[in-house]
Amino acid sequence: MPARGTPTVVRAGVPVAVALLLAVLVALPLLRLVQVLWQESDGDLAGILGSPGLSTAVRHTVVLAVAVTVTAVPIGITLALVLRRPDLPGRAFWRVAVLLPVVVPDFVLGYSWTQAYARAGFTDTLLGLHWDGLLGPVGVWLVLVVNAAPLAYLVVAVGLAARSEPDLERAARASGAGSFTVLFTITLRLLLPAVAAASVLVFVLTLGTFAIPQVLGAPAGFGTVTTRIYADLSIGGDPASFLEAVTLALLLVLVAVVCVAPGDALLGPHLRSARPADAQGTQTVPGRQAVRRGQAVGLGGYLLLTMVVPLAALALSSVTRALGVPPTPGNWTLDHFRQVLTVRTVEALGRSVGLAVAAASLLVLLGGLVAVGERRRAGRATATLITLTLVLPGSTLAVALLITYGRWLSGTLTLILLAYLAKLWAFAHRPIAGALDRLPPDELRAARASGAGLLTAVRTVALRPLAPALLGAWLICFVTALHEVTMSSLLYGPGSETLAVVVLNSQELGRIGPTAALSVVLTLLVAAPAFVLWMVVGRLRVAHDGPHAEVARVG
Amino acid sequence: MTTESAGEPASGSLGRRPSTSLALTAVLVLALSACGGNSSGSESDGGQSQALTLYTCVNDTTVQPVIAAFEKAESGSRVELFRAPTGELNARVAADARSGGLRADVVWGCDPLTMQAFVDQGLVGGWTPPGADAVPDEFRTDDYVGAHVLYMVAVHRTDAPAPRVWSDLAGPGYAALAVPDPSVAASALGTLGYFAQDPGYGVDYYRSLKANGAVQVSTPDDVTTGVAQGIYDAGITTASSAYAAKDDGSPVEVVWPEPGAIAIYGPIALATHSADSEVAKAFISFVVSKEGQTVLGGAGSYPTLPGVDGPTVPAGAPVVSPDWAAIGADKAAVLAEYQQVFGG
Amino acid sequence: MSAEPVLEIADLVVEYDGTTALRGVSLAVGAGEVLALLGPSGSGKSTLLHAVAGFLEPRSGTIRLSGTTVTGDGRPVPPERRELAVVFQNYALWPHLSALDTVAYPLRRRGARRAQARTEALAIMQRLRVDHLAARRPAELSGGEQQRVGLARALARRPSVYLFDEPTAHLDTHVRAAFLEELVARQRDSGAAAVYATHDAEEALGLADRVALLREGRLLQVGTPQEVYDEPVDLFAARLTGPASVIDGGRLLVRPGWARLGGPLEAELRAVWFRGPHSDYLVDSPRGEVLIRESGPPRHTVGARVHWTLAHRWPLPGSPSDSSSP
Repeated sequence: MPARGTPTVVRAGVPVAVALLLAVLVALPLLRLVQVLWQESDGDLAGILGSPGLSTAVRHTVVLAVAVTVTAVPIGITLALVLRRPDLPGRAFWRVAVLLPVVVPDFVLGYSWTQAYARAGFTDTLLGLHWDGLLGPVGVWLVLVVNAAPLAYLVVAVGLAARSEPDLERAARASGAGSFTVLFTITLRLLLPAVAAASVLVFVLTLGTFAIPQVLGAPAGFGTVTTRIYADLSIGGDPASFLEAVTLALLLVLVAVVCVAPGDALLGPHLRSARPADAQGTQTVPGRQAVRRGQAVGLGGYLLLTMVVPLAALALSSVTRALGVPPTPGNWTLDHFRQVLTVRTVEALGRSVGLAVAAASLLVLLGGLVAVGERRRAGRATATLITLTLVLPGSTLAVALLITYGRWLSGTLTLILLAYLAKLWAFAHRPIAGALDRLPPDELRAARASGAGLLTAVRTVALRPLAPALLGAWLICFVTALHEVTMSSLLYGPGSETLAVVVLNSQELGRIGPTAALSVVLTLLVAAPAFVLWMVVGRLRVAHDGPHAEVARVG
Repeated sequence: MTTESAGEPASGSLGRRPSTSLALTAVLVLALSACGGNSSGSESDGGQSQALTLYTCVNDTTVQPVIAAFEKAESGSRVELFRAPTGELNARVAADARSGGLRADVVWGCDPLTMQAFVDQGLVGGWTPPGADAVPDEFRTDDYVGAHVLYMVAVHRTDAPAPRVWSDLAGPGYAALAVPDPSVAASALGTLGYFAQDPGYGVDYYRSLKANGAVQVSTPDDVTTGVAQGIYDAGITTASSAYAAKDDGSPVEVVWPEPGAIAIYGPIALATHSADSEVAKAFISFVVSKEGQTVLGGAGSYPTLPGVDGPTVPAGAPVVSPDWAAIGADKAAVLAEYQQVFGG
Repeated sequence: MSAEPVLEIADLVVEYDGTTALRGVSLAVGAGEVLALLGPSGSGKSTLLHAVAGFLEPRSGTIRLSGTTVTGDGRPVPPERRELAVVFQNYALWPHLSALDTVAYPLRRRGARRAQARTEALAIMQRLRVDHLAARRPAELSGGEQQRVGLARALARRPSVYLFDEPTAHLDTHVRAAFLEELVARQRDSGAAAVYATHDAEEALGLADRVALLREGRLLQVGTPQEVYDEPVDLFAARLTGPASVIDGGRLLVRPGWARLGGPLEAELRAVWFRGPHSDYLVDSPRGEVLIRESGPPRHTVGARVHWTLAHRWPLPGSPSDSSSP
């Protein structure tokens, strides 16, 4: 085992730093919550846990998380595998298009679906078709799946990019396995770390998700733990409600521990193995052009139903004068954009972008740190730990940080940044770890032996193969931080208003027009750099292991 | 704390190979705390300071003009605002209370129930301005005074019948109705409390609404959105959001049904640790004064002070008030009964 | 060569992104025959194997396996339905499978039950003397062990054609010899055809029934090892197939064994290398530099005047002025 780790590369500094950050970002805030609960409940947790409807909410939450995971992850894998084929017609376009749901805030996504498919929505107006089930558990599940699938795709795709070893699949084909058998016996097994990473992220994210169950679940009386937490914080303001909210949040953490920790402990050591030094290339075996075309059509249909129609409905409501009037040119207006694009919002936008960039960059760094550390036994516990703050609903995490650091940092951007780091650490870590775990240690050692310092070695040798994973992780963190509403609206102070705060404060979420306009602005704002980034990633990947490398190797 | 802990390894314990990444982290954290750190709340603690910190859940559109008018009237004073939706505001107050005390001098809430809970925790109260007497009795206590009112009214599609009395919503003409969730929105809880106490309605009223196609959405704003979109034919919501939708041009009408629109008042209170803060007291006095109420009314909120002009109120529109003390006492029981109708 | 070739390749052209990797290659390999593909890096060896295996689609040309067209006539037959097995340069062992399950993999794909596949796989591993590694995963195997498992996996496929893609490139010299011995023995037992890609002339000549020389995607020469060694078609082919001296202005090829020390010709000894069983002498004569191989330890020191004889030579068909090639 030690021969396969990176002991010569990673010095004591990294574990120390990681332990320190873990304490600051995860352990202390969680412990403070536990302490508050312990002191104020007088040990009477039974009363809170026995409250009516709680078991239903917990069941809803867990079933929902499982259902979303087992649907979104296969969709993500399918997208990653289909989009991997260089001969897919319009591949570059699809690769960007499937990421669209990531750049739309989830509360907007939920709304856009009702606008598209609910009674009096887009399809109802045009075709007389609407879907009542949208406002209920099935609708919550479906929209969460659509929301999570791009994340799963991204995690799996970066794993695939970092570990594509076509010879392993070729060997299976040449051993008599058909493409489906290869998929299940080889490809997916090799992807297991990335798939596990994606599953954990989607599962935990769904456990802690709030906006979509709130928007779509409430009409059917479908409550989850997070909607209960929201209700507890919203009503009363009394210590009992607050304690219940804290208890429920810690319950979520417990559920996450129970579900994630065994996976991390079992899968971790099982999956490591050294990658052959010159594994590269993306295409294993040519497929049929008709199949590719069919896949392109399938992709198009999926995107049309899950993204294009809802987003078109959203874009229309951003330019339509009022809700409920036909979105025809006569009713078009730019008022919503004027309301959103004021001097204050632009200022706040600058602050939000700065925060998101800082958070994403630090997170990628942190993610890399832990991913490097994870090759050791202790690192796996770290991976589990940082997932715990992801499951905490934003409101509770913000409260935990405020209780822990509020004396010194209340109202500062630093506290908001800490909140982002704590919330999104796992987002950065898991994709990077999924990609890194088969980077051969010899490559780093060779760089060190060639006179490179640790950082130079990482930069020159590890960065290139990891670039897709790093950029992917950066992108997820950036977009999520930019959209973040709950934590910043709870933590801000004078001079640290984020975009979400400014817009929320003047509009609340009930006013859909300005919110839609804001989403359109944000979407464009994120989509443009994202597109550029993705192109860069694509170029990097081609340069790294594309057809030219293939030609050089073959022969 | 953060700067300490992040700075330590960069300078010391890493030994021969200080990690550049760590140093980077430390630098960034330091830089950020430097740019944000000077604004944290300590300066508003003292009684002599001309600055006060206001925590509120009232919309910027209302609260900003009021603050501006106050700062103009009381030159040299400054209001530092923290505004958040009720849930976030409550969370912030709860966190403050557990980390060195409330960091606000004045709290301007959106419902009396929450404010009473803050009073019970000793966070606010014990003082109301001398001018508070002018505010109707049902909008104040000894610890806080109503600064604005929300009216819970009926909103309906123009192609659906207008309900004359609240019970009409349980009658024919509606295929789908929306009610706000009383376990999420205090205004909805006040409404539930009012109906539960009215012998002619009771929680049975909600049962008959449900039988008539009603579903429960989260907040009053969600009710308005859903009705404006056309998902529901009618619903119970706040007058301000319903009129806003109507003014935007959505095909909806607003009705103040008999026996009356339910008044939910938003109280303002002095933090107990700011009992000596003259500027905080001055702000509260200003908000409930005729001048402050006029600004508030002009900014789109309903004033509590009689005789001050506010947004639309139909001529002779009836208004009723729930018994907040009773709601506070019965909250759990009423919610439990209600939830047998609409689930958790 | 037997009457019915097992593998027939005709006019194969492969392109990557506008670069032509194979420019019209035609070959046939019979049952039991080993054909070595000898060429430098980038000459198209792996490309040819990949095309035969069905890992890539050629631009044009046909490939027939046991009389069936698998490429070039309608839709190409996918790799799993071509009766062939591939041994990879990088071993290509699946990191998540034990050696036993790796060898059992092709058997399972043919429909064998798990237990039966394992029994058969173990038998194959016993024949290769790697059965003691059955429980290990690739990461726990040395390179030589990995490649033996890779060979066992190929044997388990029981194909009519083996494709060896530089299987010894990553192996130590002593492991390599043992592996090759094993490989040849097993392949001959099976009676299948084999195509063996390598850039090592010694390996190709010692192993193959016939050798095909590749240069820049073209076949330079196909013949028995003796033919390509003794009668290369040009200087490039001569250099590719072994140590070669060219004298008389590039027209005459002299292999190290074709010249002897002693005799009428005079030269100066430029360098001498002790090679164990024999020694190599590089002599500088008026007709050009010649490498001479004699048994025993070195008998002269550098700088000495020596005499030598030309016992055999091969006039190169290529242009005499072509001596500037690599």
